[in-house]
Amino acid sequence: MDCTKCGNPNVIIKKEQSGQYLCKDCFIESIEKKVIKTVRKEKLLDKGDKVLVALSGGKDSVTTLEILNSFREMNIIDLCAVTVDEGIDNYRQDGVDIAIRHAERLGIEHKIVSLKDSYGITLDEIMKKPNHKGSCSYCGVFRRTIINKAAREMGATKIATGHNLDDEVQAIMMNYLEGNTDNLTKLGAKTESKAKEFTVKIKPLREIPEREIGLYVVAKDLEVHFASCPYAQQSFRGEVSEVINKLSESHPTIKYSTLRGYDKIKNALKDDFKKEYSHGRCEKCGEPAANKLCKACSFLEELAGD
Amino acid sequence: MSFTLKYKDKLEEKEIPKSNYSIKDLIIELGLSTQTVVSKQNGELAIEDTIIEDGDEIQLIQIIYGG
Repeated sequence: MDCTKCGNPNVIIKKEQSGQYLCKDCFIESIEKKVIKTVRKEKLLDKGDKVLVALSGGKDSVTTLEILNSFREMNIIDLCAVTVDEGIDNYRQDGVDIAIRHAERLGIEHKIVSLKDSYGITLDEIMKKPNHKGSCSYCGVFRRTIINKAAREMGATKIATGHNLDDEVQAIMMNYLEGNTDNLTKLGAKTESKAKEFTVKIKPLREIPEREIGLYVVAKDLEVHFASCPYAQQSFRGEVSEVINKLSESHPTIKYSTLRGYDKIKNALKDDFKKEYSHGRCEKCGEPAANKLCKACSFLEELAGD
Repeated sequence: MSFTLKYKDKLEEKEIPKSNYSIKDLIIELGLSTQTVVSKQNGELAIEDTIIEDGDEIQLIQIIYGG
């Protein structure tokens, strides 16, 4: 079968959702065009933005950096990156090294922030505590706080994350199945908070299937960290992902229709279910907080008590 | 009739078990999913429907990890 677009006989993908066969060059171009289309459609970037990429060194964040760099080359935006070192032995360092090499290759400002330096504890140390709440709870909260602080320190106007189509569809379905209407109002290509300390977050890869991002980095010979976090566990997200992937085999457009359906009802959801949080300050660290302490500081207090 | 499988930095010589044996057949035989790996035939990216030929080097790269 030849490339549907240019007739090249060396095809690298059959897109089940459209029936298209694509060669390497047409595939790379299709991904980059699609991301640029998402950026324009969702108005993710404004001229003069300084975008901070949350760069782990994995395929999603490296692809985000690579494609956003085309906007930088056109002098539309400036780019910088932050890498969070959670302190996971035999895992994180490879990703950090890869992130450093990409930032150097593109010549962008790059900051590496460790949990140890920020909070005095690594994720490995947290996981040795007897009453820990599971790695992902701490990792998510600490990482989010670190990235937000870095955005302020580096003068970033947007934070770009590598969330892909699979991540987004999993989040929609998980929150729906759990009846979590509050979280359902927070998804989308662009999330803004009323608290000015929280930088606007954007997801340029939101319409790209995860497998296609993997194929993109291999096709472009981009160095990425392909490895599983040692703390990855059988989670509800994993179960939901399995069901969606199974359904996709016989219904190849189902991920897109789930996303489109969500986007249609999102405003109605927000109107009816969006909660207004009080935006006070954490008594301990001064970060925005809905309660006396922010989530990161309340975790630290619990961990100190263990 | 045989081919070389390259997977996770290991090389393994394997027999081609039947005619029209595709990369997809190999992926399924190894208990992997076409959703989580990409494949190369003699160093070039290839679709899973590609038929494995005598003397081929087939590389499987895991791009998605569970969890």
